[in-house]
Amino acid sequence: MKIVISGIGAVSAAGSNLSENLDSLRYGKRNAGPVSIFSSCLPYPVFEVKYLPEKWKFEGMRTLSLALVAAEEALNDAGLPIQLSGFKTGVCLGTTVASQLNDMDFYDSFRKSGSADLKPVDRFLKGNLAEAVAHTVKATGPVITVVNACSSGTDAAGIALSWLKSGICDIAIAGGADELNRVPLCGFGSLGILSNSLCAPFDRNRTGLNLGEGAGILVLEREDFYIRRGRKPVLYLSGYSSAADAYHLTAPRPDGKGLESAIRSALSDSGISPEDVCFVNAHGTGTIDNDKVEGSVLSRVFGENIRFFSTKGYTGHTLGGAGGIEAAYTAAALKEGWIPASAGFACRDDEIPISPVTENTNVKGSFAVSTSLAFGGNNAAIVIERA
Amino acid sequence: MRGQGFKVSSEKKGEEPYMFISGIGIVFTRGRGIDSLEKALNQGWASPSLTGLIPTYRVSQETLTDTSLSKKIRRADRFSRMAVLSAVDACRDSCITVNEMGKLGIVLSTAFGPHSTTFSFIDDILDYGDANVSPTKFSNSVHNAAASYVSSVLGSRGPTVTLSQFSFPFQNALILAGLWLNEGRCEHVLCGCVDELNAVMEYVCKMKLKTATDGKIMPFMFSPALLSVPGEGGAFFMLSKEKCGNNYGEVTGISFSGKINGKPDITIIDSDGMTGDETLYRETADSGSMIAGYSPLFGSMLVGSAFNFAAASLMLKNQLAYECPVPDNSSGIKLCAATSEASIDRINCVKICGSGKISTIKMQK
Repeated sequence: MKIVISGIGAVSAAGSNLSENLDSLRYGKRNAGPVSIFSSCLPYPVFEVKYLPEKWKFEGMRTLSLALVAAEEALNDAGLPIQLSGFKTGVCLGTTVASQLNDMDFYDSFRKSGSADLKPVDRFLKGNLAEAVAHTVKATGPVITVVNACSSGTDAAGIALSWLKSGICDIAIAGGADELNRVPLCGFGSLGILSNSLCAPFDRNRTGLNLGEGAGILVLEREDFYIRRGRKPVLYLSGYSSAADAYHLTAPRPDGKGLESAIRSALSDSGISPEDVCFVNAHGTGTIDNDKVEGSVLSRVFGENIRFFSTKGYTGHTLGGAGGIEAAYTAAALKEGWIPASAGFACRDDEIPISPVTENTNVKGSFAVSTSLAFGGNNAAIVIERA
Repeated sequence: MRGQGFKVSSEKKGEEPYMFISGIGIVFTRGRGIDSLEKALNQGWASPSLTGLIPTYRVSQETLTDTSLSKKIRRADRFSRMAVLSAVDACRDSCITVNEMGKLGIVLSTAFGPHSTTFSFIDDILDYGDANVSPTKFSNSVHNAAASYVSSVLGSRGPTVTLSQFSFPFQNALILAGLWLNEGRCEHVLCGCVDELNAVMEYVCKMKLKTATDGKIMPFMFSPALLSVPGEGGAFFMLSKEKCGNNYGEVTGISFSGKINGKPDITIIDSDGMTGDETLYRETADSGSMIAGYSPLFGSMLVGSAFNFAAASLMLKNQLAYECPVPDNSSGIKLCAATSEASIDRINCVKICGSGKISTIKMQK
């Protein structure tokens, strides 16, 4: 059973919808700036979403807002209503921030006085990302929120793929979302991996990542169900795999064997070989370790001529949203036949055997790969196919 | 096209059982290891800690100390320790060696994650400012840190995923484990749940739930506001495609629907005061099967299904119907009222969510 990508939605600092996002990629727009949605003394540039429609604004639930903006766009793109109660629909979404009860005022009040206003707790309990989206769209199938750190969105797409193949649902809303938040900003700052300037994935002089926020959602459908809706498939989610490093909480395994295993298994899941892949949308955060390991693995698996890029330079690192946003970009790029310049790259790193594309490039081919590496040593890859 | 629920099972295709339970590891208020659960099931109810804001079933620091693993988990917080110890024990209990594991998958599900470490990290921000916080605390506050420790300790490089759910956290993890096994992604999957308690969560429970001041959860009172006693712990299961290891039984299906169905020998219910209205559980009495519920042994938890599932696994393996620890029963339903040998072929584990959605895990000998 093949699984169709029937709808795509994306919101990030690069744009309020997929079309705006692709325009930013096409024209090299990098909408970063200082933090404005909360107070922090940290000087690092971030990629914020500047506009959210009123209908999806919820106080203290920005991640849910982002997810619903992208989900609505994806459902529209799929020709499906926002209310899916008549269908067997699953919801599988990745996040990091929305899974934590990390309201500063609530906690500060509790530790000072032993009591606190419970509204943030109520929001948290109502705001489990997949459960809240499932409630909004009236989905009656399986519901999972994946909290696999930065690979959450990719893993969510992979889990939805399994659901659909097994037949426990006909439609799945899959991807990831995360808001910019003070806790991870401080956390990434403490790890010394935030850049003071715009990130430069795979560049010799890269100095770290920029945080961002956003959501990327795919609507996935069983092919038989989709065809019964009178539609002709254009894109498929054809493979997924993940593998653990079993190495370190925050650093990738230096030999990259976990990532290599994830990519090779995803290719196998799709029934293809590395030569069949026309481009890779890399995780490419702009940190020293990630890019060195990932570049080496991509070279090892796909060879020195593989075309690849990172879009973190347009969106920042959106954590649990990254896998979803990058899946959306990968699908759109494969469909449209072009890939963007890898923003921020200028100088080849002698420790990375291959370099990303430096200008918008036309591509021909049927398969593309999107990769994610995460804290906790998780590695994930999906394969997208053009019909 | 229409569907108000779904099921994953081997029954519809007449295939082999969905998955086998080949090992169990558990960390809870009464200790560590499947033997501790067995002992608790035999001994019955014990009073919770009454020293906090509300009665709670906490896991002692002593339970979370393991000198054989101390180097590998020296920086791990309580949440991760509960995960690692229960996962490692499930592995050991399965008698499957690392070499035999092939590609091992790990699925860890939680409702609240390692929130103690998150709050400790926020302490740093509030006390020392944004630029002077601990990277170790931050790393450990990420939800998938616990699963990362598990994979590192076991040397497992298979797929590893952490889920965060308030509704059916264990059931969704179990479904995913079953899919991975049936797709051939894994030969075995370590699947489990973890949640922890701390002062903040005690406060939230005090304000949000009706707690049993005498420390007794009464699972069969079926009140709209059942009294709870919050608990914490970890429960992991080694699930296998083929029968192997320490065979506890089989999972034959997991269904979600709006009604309770099936007539097993025993129905174990998850009522523990964590759901708004638990009167729906009364309908299990109509199934005609014997009813049981063991939440008074480990406490009220959104991940409590995993602990009842462990009890069910022991019942299938030992062919013993364990006495319900708090049998107060206003509805006159047929309870497991005394521990006795029994011919137990099938057990259903039933969880009802606040929305009225019902999940049934079907198990058989």
